[in-house]
Amino acid sequence: MSAGALCIELRDLVIRYGEVVAVNGVSFEVNRGEHVTLLGPSGCGKTTTLRAIAGLEQPGAGTISIDGQVMYDAVRRHNVPTEQRGVSMVFQSYAVWPHMTVLGNVAYGLKVRKQSGADIRAKVERVLDLVQMRHLADRPASKLSGGQQQRVALARAIAFSPTVVLFDEPLSNLDAKLRAEMRLELRELQRQLGITSVYVTHDQEEALAISDRVIVMNVGAIEQIGTPEQIYNRPRNRFVADFVGSANLIRGRVREPLAAPKTLAFVAEGGHVLQATAAHVLRGNETEVAVRTAYIELGKANNVNQMPGTVRRRMFHGDFVQYVVDCPLGQMIVRHPPTNLVAEGDGVNLSFSPEHCVLLED
Amino acid sequence: MRPGFTSQGLITLAVLVIVAFLVLLPVVFLVEESLNTGDPMAFPPQEYGLANYVAMFEEDLQVIINTVVIAVAATVMAVLIGFTLAWILTRTNVPGREKLERLMELPYYMTPLVGALAWAVLASPRSGFFNQIWRWAGGTGDLFNIYSMFGIAWIMALFEGTVAFVMISAAMKSMDPALEESARVIGASKLRTALTVTLPLVMPGVLGATLFVFAEMLGSFAAALVIGIPARVYVITTAIWDSTLSYPPAYGRASAMGLALFVVMFAMLTFYRRMVGRGSFATITGKAFRPRQMDMGRLAWLLFGVCALYVFLAVVLPIAALLLTSLERFATALLHQAQFTLANYEMALALGPVRTALANSLLLGFGVASVGVIIMALVVWIIYRSQLVGRGSIEYLVMFPQAVPRLVFGLALLWAWLNMPIPIYGTLWLLALAYFTVMLPIGVRTLAGVVLQVDKSLEECARVCGAGWVYQLRTVTLPLLKPGVIAAWLLIFMACVRELGVSVFLMGPNAKVIAPSIVSAFASSGIELTAAMALIQTFTVVVALLILFRLTRGMTRELT
Repeated sequence: MSAGALCIELRDLVIRYGEVVAVNGVSFEVNRGEHVTLLGPSGCGKTTTLRAIAGLEQPGAGTISIDGQVMYDAVRRHNVPTEQRGVSMVFQSYAVWPHMTVLGNVAYGLKVRKQSGADIRAKVERVLDLVQMRHLADRPASKLSGGQQQRVALARAIAFSPTVVLFDEPLSNLDAKLRAEMRLELRELQRQLGITSVYVTHDQEEALAISDRVIVMNVGAIEQIGTPEQIYNRPRNRFVADFVGSANLIRGRVREPLAAPKTLAFVAEGGHVLQATAAHVLRGNETEVAVRTAYIELGKANNVNQMPGTVRRRMFHGDFVQYVVDCPLGQMIVRHPPTNLVAEGDGVNLSFSPEHCVLLED
Repeated sequence: MRPGFTSQGLITLAVLVIVAFLVLLPVVFLVEESLNTGDPMAFPPQEYGLANYVAMFEEDLQVIINTVVIAVAATVMAVLIGFTLAWILTRTNVPGREKLERLMELPYYMTPLVGALAWAVLASPRSGFFNQIWRWAGGTGDLFNIYSMFGIAWIMALFEGTVAFVMISAAMKSMDPALEESARVIGASKLRTALTVTLPLVMPGVLGATLFVFAEMLGSFAAALVIGIPARVYVITTAIWDSTLSYPPAYGRASAMGLALFVVMFAMLTFYRRMVGRGSFATITGKAFRPRQMDMGRLAWLLFGVCALYVFLAVVLPIAALLLTSLERFATALLHQAQFTLANYEMALALGPVRTALANSLLLGFGVASVGVIIMALVVWIIYRSQLVGRGSIEYLVMFPQAVPRLVFGLALLWAWLNMPIPIYGTLWLLALAYFTVMLPIGVRTLAGVVLQVDKSLEECARVCGAGWVYQLRTVTLPLLKPGVIAAWLLIFMACVRELGVSVFLMGPNAKVIAPSIVSAFASSGIELTAAMALIQTFTVVVALLILFRLTRGMTRELT
């Protein structure tokens, strides 16, 4: 199969725990070599979906296929057991077996596949090199630090050259600094090996940073699928705008008659008219626009979407400064790099371009 | 959505059927027999009626009164002992606290049977050590008489006190010290805090322990057997035992009493579980805090003395008395009159029946523990790890024997296997089967504790790596469970070697075991020989115990 071909396909997946519906009709595809992230708050069904791909959860309805083979089909009562699906997984708890050495852990998948001793040795050494753990090969797994366990879990997951690797919040137990490093390494490794991966996280920053595509989930359903840029710049609805990055939400209505398809006029609740963009087919009854906090200018003169404001609060965060600005639209949050600081109480000229004022679908 | 019958599904079904057969069937037989008003030996019964139940209140009213009086007295003493010790060891700065806490477990391992024998040596009228010394010192009459209702209650309390201690101290430990501290910070005095915060929070735990201990007391057998029968004080358990000895055996009567006892105990334990707030019989300890300890100053040594006194009365004194007796030709506490000899041990080990009984017990211990843990490990895995339908009912069934008094379960098994077309009654096979059934709760609980510590993803990861169920069990699950499995093995082994309640009913002339043999030696031969036998049994248990302590210490080190 060539790159770009379909690798994982989920259709109308439903997973119930007794009365609770954890996943409610989820469908998406992952292409070969693609890195797709399921992003959402805890309890949104992202981990359950991932575990269903691995065969660790039994769906109530829908189909799952990998590499064109049906792994699960509710109607035909077809269910391939986990160990025969040929996928691999990195667990949130790492699940490094404490009664084995590093080597024993990493070689496990190869031993299961009855590979020869020499083959196993070569492959284990290769992946241990990849994760820079070769010098610790003979160390008992119970004597590893969190970061080292993470690397062993990763090496074990890729050692038997699986086509698909699933990641269940693999970095959530690491401290912030290590997490940033591992993020980069994971991305490198993923590119290098060309594996197809599905990654689960509740960290929106992580999702945007390492994915080819992001799937935002909430209460068991998909809210939006898109590249990180699409998700950030064109949030489809209030949930995505709010959960991914930070945004100002402004209520109002679309002004009739509907103007050109790309920019349109939006009347905010105070009566202020904004130029906005819509990524979807306009219905006319939309009630909200979203403006990313990072896309608002303070001071630059602009022809459209311009208004006077007063800085009410300034909070210094280090990497950025957050202002709370009173303006005709209400209170707006603005984030800027920590240069050219504006003092509290100062008047500013607030503006943002129409393409950053996104009309939300619902 | 399950595709047909999987191997897991079949195994679960098989386990469910076997466990139900072992656990429930005897009880069904017991219910039927209790309603038998015709020939008590006829099976199936020819006439049904409630006569057996009515007779209990008409003819055995005294037995019921005795049972309640002794159980109440013993419960009050046990809870007092337990509460005092728990308070000292969790809330004060008593010296050597950790060592003392460990020692508190010992009375439990001593067993009430050995304890009762020892106290018979210590405090029987005339020949008891206390009374001997009293008269030697110039006193007249008897200072103590263990052959009384109070005597039975005293022994029961002494050896159940440790259960009350464990439960109450768990309640005290599980209280967040911040709850008390916040009362102090707001301005409440020490006393006010104790009365308005500490006591109300600990009270449910104490009440729960009281209820639990009372239920245990109602069904306790060993002390009532050793002390009560010579004293002609019958309680319900000894009355059940006695009815099966008459000719013809009054099995119907015994069954009715057994069931009544079971229903009362079951109701109390169910109520207890409601109170503690757990649905199942399994108890999983919650988070433990280290509560703030009160500085007791010089009083701490007094408290130390209280703890030491308990260990002295429940462990040191009984063992010393038995040891002394077993080494004498005639039991005496007055050393200048003593004639020391090893003859009792020689006799115990040379006497054919005793030797075979000991060998049988050890054999059963090894066999049941070895085969048992494998099956129990499988059961535990099904209950706590598989996604299979019916695992909840397996858990309930497996824990069920815990709710049935051991003696009643023995009676039920006796009646069931007398009438089952499988001829194993009177053989070691039946004893093995019975031991396995009554050890199910303790074994499954011990193993479950370990299984629950093993993160589920460790197993799931093996599957994702491509391992099948059996391969995963062999390479990941079982190696991780090994320490727990060994601990469970030893616990079951110990429990088998000490087993009395079931054994008295199921032992045949060609399949004797040690605990009932000790009881009958006490009734028929000298106390000196009995003491030697009891010590040999205790010694076996102690060796197993030492290994267990060593192991669990290693285990906790490994897991942290």
